[in-house]
Amino acid sequence: MSLRNKTAIAGVGASRQGTIPGSTSLSLAIEAFKDALDDCGLEKGEIDGLLTMPGTTSPEGSLNYLRLGEALGIDPRYTGSMTMGGGTAGALVQMAAMAIDAGMATTVACVFGDAAKSGGYRFNRAAGWTDSWGIWGMFAAAGNSAVSASRHMALYGTESRHLAEVAVACRRHASLNPNAVMRTPITIEEHQSSRFIVEPFRLLDCCLISDGGVCIIVTSAERARDLRQKPVLIAGMGQGYTTQNLGNEDWWYVPHQKSACEAAYAMAGVGPEDVDVAQLYDNFSMSVLLWLEHAGFCGRGEAGPFVEGGRIQIDGDLPVNTAGGNLSESYMEGWLHIVEGTRQLRGGCGERQVAGAETCLVTGRGMTLNCSNAMILQAS
Amino acid sequence: MADAAEPYAKPLPTITDENRPFWEATRRGELRMQTCGACGHVRYPIAPVCPKCLSDEAEWTRLSGRGTVFSYVVFHQVYHPAFKNDAPYNVAMVQLEEGPRLFSNIVGVANADVSVGDPVEAVFDAVTDEVAIPRFRLARGR
Repeated sequence: MSLRNKTAIAGVGASRQGTIPGSTSLSLAIEAFKDALDDCGLEKGEIDGLLTMPGTTSPEGSLNYLRLGEALGIDPRYTGSMTMGGGTAGALVQMAAMAIDAGMATTVACVFGDAAKSGGYRFNRAAGWTDSWGIWGMFAAAGNSAVSASRHMALYGTESRHLAEVAVACRRHASLNPNAVMRTPITIEEHQSSRFIVEPFRLLDCCLISDGGVCIIVTSAERARDLRQKPVLIAGMGQGYTTQNLGNEDWWYVPHQKSACEAAYAMAGVGPEDVDVAQLYDNFSMSVLLWLEHAGFCGRGEAGPFVEGGRIQIDGDLPVNTAGGNLSESYMEGWLHIVEGTRQLRGGCGERQVAGAETCLVTGRGMTLNCSNAMILQAS
Repeated sequence: MADAAEPYAKPLPTITDENRPFWEATRRGELRMQTCGACGHVRYPIAPVCPKCLSDEAEWTRLSGRGTVFSYVVFHQVYHPAFKNDAPYNVAMVQLEEGPRLFSNIVGVANADVSVGDPVEAVFDAVTDEVAIPRFRLARGR
């Protein structure tokens, strides 16, 4: 029954990233789709599944699959769109794997594009249903994640300089990535002197806002072997959610991340000790600390001290976000985390290559604290 | 507090049949939330059924207004123009003693003098003739 190693990531592609004048969510998605076809050597007619995430600037919203499919001139056997923010990329790749295993499609392109930088974006809205949290001035993704960081600091003594370790690591890795948007290295002191956004978060705790598109092509492990690139196997998959922002006492601690990681480990038959490199969703620096705890690299409340001394940098015990992450590579809502995981396991990442990387944990989380997923990718 | 010279420009609740009992209560200086008629669970946010047992029987019961600071942040970035003159301003997640949590503000104290775990009590800020927003102050005698 397990999907372990039945499917593989055969192709990855990305558009230009950063500030792309004149781009639209559609043009960026198309650019990424073409790049992914080039990467794996497939023709567009061989794509029989299309799963998409509407950009925040996509006027068609959840009808994005229709808009993109028409633009690409493909009539898939299987399609749809999903909006879970940073939890979408992993959820769609996992859905693609399930659809392929179920015989609903053979080759699924998962695609995202958003002109968030140039075209306006929605990340600063207030949450809340019947009564908006904006009544109390509670706005933005930064607000929710700051609530999480503040309580973690109060309960466990986590400090701002621990958050700085995450920002410094991501920036160092971005400096080694020619495609990254923010490439000038930063120090812990520069983090500590950057202005507050939502305290305890400073500017350098926050992800970028970027224009860009990403495409990930999934097919069966067997078919992937005949394509251009060395297949990267999807060895384990897991998801976890909470819908209860105020109703779940542990909402701030995102315990569903632990469920997602444990499911992925169990399917792959591995544990945290087997992970060579990790791409951990970083909408804010704090999120990486939470993932380190939930993925079992350290205990509850221990992630602050865990990251001290450059431990998650490229030459540390556990290299994390080796392309720079949402904080410094580009804010593609976690889509590029899967791309980087794939590239690390293919080898050939140049200066930022983790030597001998065979197993990568990739995680995603969306709607700030609600939607989590994890995948174990393995080299073939 | 509302400045009589200028209209209140921050977000206000849209009063509907669903939330009217909450906002009518705060205007009287009372914090009321829905208590499930079947299992007794006190729920917030406002919802048509109990998230524990799905019963649609509920009564708007008066709460003590007492709680503790569950988490606490300070907004320096201005995400809504009407908060420009308030920044930096605080937002707290308050744990009420009856169980529910809600976002609110801690008033009457400097931002730096509030900590997670501090006991608080509700106060009601009449920002317009129709709306009094529940906020919290540090509890006396703590």
